[in-house]
Amino acid sequence: METLGALARSKTVPSHRFDVWYFAGGLTLFLFVFQFITGMALALYYVPHAEHAHKSIVDIVTKLNMGWLFRSLHHWGAQLAILVLFAHVFSTLLLKAYRKPRELVWLTGFVMLAISIFFGLSGYFLLWDERAFAAVRVATGGAGNLPLVGWVIKGFLRGGLDVTGETLTRFYAFHVAILPLVTIAVAGLHILLVQIHGMSVPLSQERKQGGPEPFFPNLFYKDLIVWLVCLGVVVTLAVLLPPEIGRKADPLAPAPENIKPEWYFLFLFQTLKLFPGEMLGMNGETIAIVIISAAILFFFLIPFFDRRSAMGQRSPLFTWIGTFYLVYFTVMTVIGFLT
Amino acid sequence: MLRVFLIVLFFLIIGTTALCAGAEPKVEVFPPASYDRHIIYQALIFFWIGIIGLVVIIAMKLREIKRVQKMGIDEEEGNVPFLD
Repeated sequence: METLGALARSKTVPSHRFDVWYFAGGLTLFLFVFQFITGMALALYYVPHAEHAHKSIVDIVTKLNMGWLFRSLHHWGAQLAILVLFAHVFSTLLLKAYRKPRELVWLTGFVMLAISIFFGLSGYFLLWDERAFAAVRVATGGAGNLPLVGWVIKGFLRGGLDVTGETLTRFYAFHVAILPLVTIAVAGLHILLVQIHGMSVPLSQERKQGGPEPFFPNLFYKDLIVWLVCLGVVVTLAVLLPPEIGRKADPLAPAPENIKPEWYFLFLFQTLKLFPGEMLGMNGETIAIVIISAAILFFFLIPFFDRRSAMGQRSPLFTWIGTFYLVYFTVMTVIGFLT
Repeated sequence: MLRVFLIVLFFLIIGTTALCAGAEPKVEVFPPASYDRHIIYQALIFFWIGIIGLVVIIAMKLREIKRVQKMGIDEEEGNVPFLD
């Protein structure tokens, strides 16, 4: 404890024009802890079986004291965690905080984003209602369109040829055991690397920054304020907009009309819509999935492509690329939301 | 006449039953009783008052810390003599 205290007292954080973005990392951590706590409470009553899953959630919401609040808090906590994580990733991208020697910090952060999205998908499916069922069928079907390895991923995720009760068991295992363990390991590594390398200062601010601010108590108190306000926002959303529960999923029924995935999948959903059913004699969806996968891979490996930033020089090309990613994600999400 | 009436009644009953079977009642995801709702909204207001109070206290504390840091009296000197 003394070592941790000494570390907290000796740690300083740079202060400059964009230092507000440093709060996104701490806020993400806070929301993850919040999700762990509310999730543990829900796991005490949830029944991970195709016959009982839906009813157990209805019981949590309608019969348990404060059950509706815990479910709603868990739902809105997840939405905000992913939103803040996206903000953290895009701010890191545009401020070039991924540059040498912080490549591994970027890679672990990106893995955290992927894990969070899978957390969202697997958690959504546990509801076992019509919309969740159709969404998982589309998402796992989309993964199945990847060339060569698609069928393996699809089979592994579904636990069979189609989405069934086996898929529910798998997603439950992912959601409450595998993903939390991976999250703790990856987030631990991410935080450790941030402590080793310190906070990154944008190239444009290296000569303009003020004196470093001590993390404890200054930044710690500021973090506390941000976390408290965030807690207030989550609780307010949970009370005013509790998430609906649809009808129990029927694997034999057709998918309901006009269904949309969760907001963080909307940009993918809209991109898939841009492609025709067949292109150059190939399946249009397969081509779309390959292009999207290539774009995501480029995003993941961006610290290794941006050589100018690594050498401490300005790289406007990668600023434009980062802006393009952000604008594309935002525009496609808004279009998907409105249409 | 009675026969036609019975046939129409039969189809009406069958139709209504089928419609009711398809439309499941919507799950109440928020306590429906107005008293409970009132208590919840009241608790939300108290919760926000608590949060704002804490934020104000932390902000005041932070301001005080910064003032002390600016004066340079927050750090212990290494060679301070013991008073005993």
